[in-house]
Amino acid sequence: MPNETILTVKNVSVTLDHVQVLRDVSFSVRRGEAVVVIGPNGAGKTVLFRALLGLLPYTGTVVWRAGAKIGYVPQRFSVERSAPITAMEFFLLQSPNFWRPNAAFISHLDHELTLMGLDRSVLHKNLGELSGGETQRLLIAWAMLPQPDVLLLDEPTAGVDAGFEDTIYALLHRVQIERGTALLLISHDLSVVYQYAQQVLCLNKRVVCQGPPVEACNPDALATLYGEPGYYRHQHDPGPR
Amino acid sequence: MTMHAPYHAPYWIALLVGIASGSVGPFILLRRMALVGDALSHVALPGIALALLYGRDPFYGVIVFLTAAAFLIFWLEGRSSVPPDAIVGLLFTASLAVGVLIMPDTEVIESLFGAFPVLSLPFLLLILSAATLLSVLCLLMTKRFLFVIVSPDLAKVHGLGRGNDLALLLIFAIVVALGIKLVGTLLMGALTIIPASIAKNLTRSMRPYVIVSSLLGGAISVVGVRIADTLRFPPGPSIVLLGVGIFLLSLPMARNRVKGGK
Repeated sequence: MPNETILTVKNVSVTLDHVQVLRDVSFSVRRGEAVVVIGPNGAGKTVLFRALLGLLPYTGTVVWRAGAKIGYVPQRFSVERSAPITAMEFFLLQSPNFWRPNAAFISHLDHELTLMGLDRSVLHKNLGELSGGETQRLLIAWAMLPQPDVLLLDEPTAGVDAGFEDTIYALLHRVQIERGTALLLISHDLSVVYQYAQQVLCLNKRVVCQGPPVEACNPDALATLYGEPGYYRHQHDPGPR
Repeated sequence: MTMHAPYHAPYWIALLVGIASGSVGPFILLRRMALVGDALSHVALPGIALALLYGRDPFYGVIVFLTAAAFLIFWLEGRSSVPPDAIVGLLFTASLAVGVLIMPDTEVIESLFGAFPVLSLPFLLLILSAATLLSVLCLLMTKRFLFVIVSPDLAKVHGLGRGNDLALLLIFAIVVALGIKLVGTLLMGALTIIPASIAKNLTRSMRPYVIVSSLLGGAISVVGVRIADTLRFPPGPSIVLLGVGIFLLSLPMARNRVKGGK
């Protein structure tokens, strides 16, 4: 069912401390589709994700396909440096047996780590001692472990070396194609939108523009979104994707 | 026969309540609830005082007050508009003050710093089986507690609600209640923190951390009681000072936290 809808969002509004931070957001995500959410700082992108995941109260409707497995890569993730928790134990949170994981779980874990370009030795490292890039890749591998139907990624390349950003997006694209995983991701990088997104959602407390990137991200829409015409204008050839 | 059990009772309580304290300690420490936990143990004092005033066993006063305090902390943490730490600090030190005022004079020192308790055999068995049960419960819930420590958001997305927080608080409150006769209200909170603090210096991952902390809790408590028994000290200070001494010795063994980088 290639066009099966995984997520339907209708008129979602969020009010925090008596201030409306999101108003009437509506969109849908289909199986295997990549939807990129863009917008300036404070536009409510993370708030939208948190509302979709039930981490914040909202009005309106959020309907996930029945039984849909959701993976989430949060923007902020910090574990106390001195906490004796290894990366392996972080993954074991998803194992049916935390104290004695079975061989199938370990081999599946190895596979997902390899996919994210992580060496197995990372598992023995302390969670608080990982570099920003390692943490980010680990988080993505962690979210992909149960093979979710949809992945929500809040700026997945924050803290990752510039050279590795493209690798991460290419890997995510591969997962999208090979596993039919729907991607809903927040990014500041317009080239990501043009290169990988089937749909873009321009957010600035409300939906400013949405649709296929080439149509939705016209200069007028971007000017309205960011308030500075041309500043965020895409510099590369949009390409056929 | 009945004479033997009470004679060894403090050692059995020390061993099993010590293990339970060591089992719950890592989660209290990593959740940064050490001070809240310490304050919580003070709430037991008015419970002891009221039970004594009405001629009941102090244990029942302790268990009622500590369970109520656990629910109170849970409720405060769920209200984002109230800073829980300040309220917890004020309320619980106030309850310590009230407890000392209404406590019969002869019982004050014992309630604050612990004593070698005189217990009936059924009561002893109740304490020992409850302590064993709580230790096992901590091991079974390690994954859930750790999930919330690592990321409350990811835990919630994976279906773990605030029930886990309440479970942790209640386990902690009951462990404190079980050990309070032996160790005292002022020091029982410390017994849950000390083994976990030492074990944190000695281990690098969670599974050994919880096990080492549990074993240390039992060992420190038993040796502390032995020292108190020999030198005729109250057991509470003896256990706590022994624990703090071992903690100081463990400091050089703490792994180098400067290496690596983010």
